[in-house]
Amino acid sequence: MQLTKSEALFAEAQRLMPGGVNSPVRSFRAVTGTPPFIASGSGSRVVDVDGNEYIDYLGSWGPLVLGHAHPSVVAALMRAAENGTSFGAPVEQEVELARLITGALPSIESLRLVNSGTEACMSAIRLARAFTGRDKIIKFAGNYHGHADGLLVRAGSGGLTHGIPTSAGVPESYASETLVADFNDLDSVEQLFNSYPNAIAGIIVEPVAGNMGVVGPTPGFLEGLRRVTAHDGAMLIFDEVITGFRVGAGGAQGLYGIMPDITTLGKIIGGGLPVGCYGGRREIMERVAPLGDMYQAGTLSGNPLAVSAGVATLTELRKPGVYEQIDRLATRLTDGVGAAFRINRVGSMFTGFFNPGPVESLAEVEQSDATKYGRYFHALLERGVYIAPSQFEAGFVSTAHTEADIDATIERVREALAELG
Amino acid sequence: MQQQRSQQLFERAQRFIPGGVNSPVRSFRAVEGTPPFIARGNGARVWDVDGNEYIDYLGSWGPLALGHAHPVIVDAVQRAAADGTSFGAPVEQEVQLAEMICQALPSVDMVRLVNSGTEACMSALRLARAFTGRSKIVKFAGNYHGHADGLLVQAGSGALTHGVPTSAGVPESYAAETLVAAYNELESVQILFDAWPSDIAAVIVEPVAGNMGVVPPADGFLDGLRRITESHGALLIFDEVITGFRVAYGGAQTLYGIAPDITTMGKIIGGGLPVGAYGGRADIMQMVAPLGPMYQAGTLSGNPLAVAAGVATLTEMQRPGVYDQLEATAVRLTEGIAHAFATAEMPSTINRVASMFTGFFNPGPITSLAQVEQSDAAIYGRYFHAMLERGVYIAPSQFEAGFVSIAHTASDIDRTIAAVGEALSSLER
Repeated sequence: MQLTKSEALFAEAQRLMPGGVNSPVRSFRAVTGTPPFIASGSGSRVVDVDGNEYIDYLGSWGPLVLGHAHPSVVAALMRAAENGTSFGAPVEQEVELARLITGALPSIESLRLVNSGTEACMSAIRLARAFTGRDKIIKFAGNYHGHADGLLVRAGSGGLTHGIPTSAGVPESYASETLVADFNDLDSVEQLFNSYPNAIAGIIVEPVAGNMGVVGPTPGFLEGLRRVTAHDGAMLIFDEVITGFRVGAGGAQGLYGIMPDITTLGKIIGGGLPVGCYGGRREIMERVAPLGDMYQAGTLSGNPLAVSAGVATLTELRKPGVYEQIDRLATRLTDGVGAAFRINRVGSMFTGFFNPGPVESLAEVEQSDATKYGRYFHALLERGVYIAPSQFEAGFVSTAHTEADIDATIERVREALAELG
Repeated sequence: MQQQRSQQLFERAQRFIPGGVNSPVRSFRAVEGTPPFIARGNGARVWDVDGNEYIDYLGSWGPLALGHAHPVIVDAVQRAAADGTSFGAPVEQEVQLAEMICQALPSVDMVRLVNSGTEACMSALRLARAFTGRSKIVKFAGNYHGHADGLLVQAGSGALTHGVPTSAGVPESYAAETLVAAYNELESVQILFDAWPSDIAAVIVEPVAGNMGVVPPADGFLDGLRRITESHGALLIFDEVITGFRVAYGGAQTLYGIAPDITTMGKIIGGGLPVGAYGGRADIMQMVAPLGPMYQAGTLSGNPLAVAAGVATLTEMQRPGVYDQLEATAVRLTEGIAHAFATAEMPSTINRVASMFTGFFNPGPITSLAQVEQSDAAIYGRYFHAMLERGVYIAPSQFEAGFVSIAHTASDIDRTIAAVGEALSSLER
């Protein structure tokens, strides 16, 4: 597999952009080697600039539940582009997307569209603080909620991958308002509420962690968070940027039967374009300007191009059997690769850990053999299978993946593992 | 002008979205009335869902220097859409856009693409703090840099429009790290540096204020900021989200000849799609992960659809005569408006830098926020509607900028000036 063009582009990119990339994990630092520059994607496949084709399980980190360049989404984009991509004024399609989201997630009575998961989570935090009048927030070590300063404390995703869980440049004063608990450890949460009664604005949590690799909630964990927050008058914020419209039609909150106060969404709802969302109970959302005193704005928020892609995507996802289909494919894959990994899977998101397992906590995640993962990653890449270039991320299956794709993948995984020895 | 469909949509929207809008100023609270829901745009015009046509001076708040649905941009977007809109992996066009930005702005050695001006500015601040090891920042009252908590302190734009310059939900501890100075008053900056000589990481400034209406920098102001920051080891951050590729291809920094340490960008560089950027000196940018310990990431950052639109836009902006044309159009418009106001004996001040401008209901001059705030926002609201009824769409707030594009013709301008005259006549004295 030759990567000549990618190598040349990467060299040039590194002169112009930090690490040659616009998001750290794309630089392949954790797995080493040259990242392929992608030329195009279609269905379950991507092709790089050197013409190498891959079965893709990254799916752009989650949004592409329908696969690359799904015809409905492309058609929607073609139409929207002709009519103007952004007006800075209300458009009908925003209302349509809002309706589709509120219809799917009953805990969301009112919502605001933004441009990224990062914007959604930072707004949700500010809203929780405004609504409760309190300053402290709780997050979980290894969870990642975008790059707002206060959330870059013991963060997962690239923070974990690159060994900088707490970012430089976050003032002490900011970090001191962020309390950190342990995912799946209710005691660690209760301790914080005991130490800081009536002072915590909210808990933000990935109801299924995806940013430390996939780690599902242990039985009672989410219920416990709901209980503890309700008791103290704090908000429960579900970061469903990954899980929303991914793990089921009603998101993780639907799957586990928990009603958070505020939900953040992203990825899938943009259909491959930059869209984020935060929403929740009406009385909470009524604090958001222009109704209330919590300010948040955005020039490109709700632009007709992005929301058209979102509407097309969510409309496709309402077709009968979609979630059964991707869950089945994901199961076929994870069952097929089986014993070499500790596999965590919820619906169509999964991670294969090189780990004696079980993997139910960050500490256990961190015992995974990331070095071996790096070699495995390349062995797969050479065999035309593209997975996340980091042990601490999720893989995804789309409606465009076929059983043949899955079976071919299983075969190549076996070969890759054999090569590793 | 009937707005039945817009009214229906707005009612429905208010059930699902706070204020019925995804950005506060679009709700028309400052000017009242029902905001038209836009169905499509082309060139200098937009049409709402009731079929009303408007000559558009909002330009989606800045990005559309080429007008709506410019054929080259439409083509670039459509071609990119067919190939996949996002991979979460590097694409060639990112390199192209980065190159164009670095070439345009000599102070920018390296750049990182993000998804909005908000993301760009919050990253720039974290970077400045990481680079200097300090935590305080200086911003200017009335300047707006997106909605990161620490910047929602005496903010302009909609925060000014709606009377919440400092947002609820920003912790005291966060706000305490944000020092606020007065735009165009160097003394107010010096005072802060005297009080905090080695604690200030950076000064962030709109080199031409656009978010309190347009207020150009006073002579020596930007120069003074460069001097003060340099002598104290603080960084100078130019927020060129509005001015970048607008007031000149090389931005306000080129127009005024000042090299900041970090620049933030947005709007125009996305060609009508969500894109932001922050860039600057190589040694500073090398702090950014994966090179350094300042973390910042983004799933959709640098996606091929957005960067295709950005590359196509900047390529068009480089054509000979584009900026001359924008200037000439803006001059024709603002001179005509000034004349109309004078004829109507209505006090007004027009601030313009290149193709961004604001007409203030205010005898002027307007060089500070305090002067901006003396403008008659109530009469602006009535003027806004008088214009809207005459098929001219301007910003639904006194405290924002208007823009012309290359799609605005002399005839558009003349029609607009005529509408201004009529609108002013229709206002109660």
